[in-house]
Amino acid sequence: MTQERGKLRGAKRELWLAWYVTVAFYGLYSVVFFALARAQPPGRPWLDPGQTVAWFADRHWGLLIGFGLIFVLGGFSAVALALITYSIRRMSVSPAYAYSYLILYAIAAIPGFMFICVAMTCGVMRPDLSPVTTQWLYDLGFLSFVGTMGVFLVGSLIWMVAILIDENGVLPRWFGYLSLVNALTEVVIAPSWIFQRGVLAYNGAIGFWVNVPVFGLYTVAFILLLRDFIRRDDLGTGPLPMPPPDVWGHAKRAVEAVGA
Amino acid sequence: MTAVDGLADDAAVGGDDAARRFPGDPDMWIFVVVESLVFTSYFCIYLYARTQHEQAFLAAQSALTMWVGILETILLLTSSWAIARCVQCTRAGSYAAARQFAFVTAGLGAAFFALKIAEWVHLIRDGYSFGSSDFMQHFFFLTGIHAAHLVIGFVALGVLVYELSDPRRRSHKTIETCSTYWHTVDLFWVVIFAMLYVVR
Repeated sequence: MTQERGKLRGAKRELWLAWYVTVAFYGLYSVVFFALARAQPPGRPWLDPGQTVAWFADRHWGLLIGFGLIFVLGGFSAVALALITYSIRRMSVSPAYAYSYLILYAIAAIPGFMFICVAMTCGVMRPDLSPVTTQWLYDLGFLSFVGTMGVFLVGSLIWMVAILIDENGVLPRWFGYLSLVNALTEVVIAPSWIFQRGVLAYNGAIGFWVNVPVFGLYTVAFILLLRDFIRRDDLGTGPLPMPPPDVWGHAKRAVEAVGA
Repeated sequence: MTAVDGLADDAAVGGDDAARRFPGDPDMWIFVVVESLVFTSYFCIYLYARTQHEQAFLAAQSALTMWVGILETILLLTSSWAIARCVQCTRAGSYAAARQFAFVTAGLGAAFFALKIAEWVHLIRDGYSFGSSDFMQHFFFLTGIHAAHLVIGFVALGVLVYELSDPRRRSHKTIETCSTYWHTVDLFWVVIFAMLYVVR
């Protein structure tokens, strides 16, 4: 009995390690892209070659240090992906869901995450390139980062279906529905390949600004729900000992507290 | 289907407080709320753009045919009525009738979708496209994203028919959840129709 508890604690420690790495990865990602490299929010798609060179010069050290950190630590995204994959494996669904999700996100991370780092680093480290080539790298970086969100679409849908048909109570059903919202906002980014200006461009009100809060809400939600899942997980195969958090109960108590 | 109907139904099966207040899966209402906020932001962006270029929007809007929009709205509102009847029949235990209403809903949805595609093709042949003006950019985007929601609605209807087909499944909760999704998509269309076709 004591030996079993010890094993459970050990295995849980590994899951907690993976969760803290996930938090650290998303924290690093936000700091690098928004504060250090200032590559988000995206630049204007209609900058001319001269303005693009100035854009790179203005962010020289931020891009170098920021994307340098991503090249060194970006691999930790694999740990975050592994934790999500484990959560799907813990569900009462076919392992095909977990493996499909794993493969899709592993492949999608190349255009959706790594291309911008390579293109921007190349742009900043090769000032001898012609301004037109620098402009091409700038566009490639942002179009690959924002415009390829669609490749994550199928992954979100796979996770959604797995959550909705799961009978082990690994993640709450509302998160399955939130995955659908996230998937649908990923669709609207596709027109950024067509438009250089306006609401659907890669820095546009619809193309970027509406999606950021949805993606932010979705990311914060799954990080917190994975923490809750690890707390409840008994590392077995059947239903989890405790049900997922009761969002309606929380809402009701909050309303009652405000009323009081 | 109304919240009051849901209340009566769930009270009968002894649901908890949350279930009594919401028809179908209460968690589905997270989708309804968040997706409504997303669409509201699309609508606000459209209205802001319209105030900036009112004359250009009015000129571009004249390319749309009002009766097509009205017909599309009638088709979708009738489909909403059909799915509400489907839920009512399910609650009454008339599963064969419920299935028929589900097929009527799917047929009306398919007719809407076909008409929408015909409208897009007609506009494109007349020289209007995604990039031809700011209004058309909004028009093709809003009607396109709505059509994407409708396609998912067909999947929800498939789940609904699957549930109704076998006496061992027939979960009222799932059927009400699919119905809630369909009503939500219809609601978005009513606002899109009012903004793009009616307000001139």
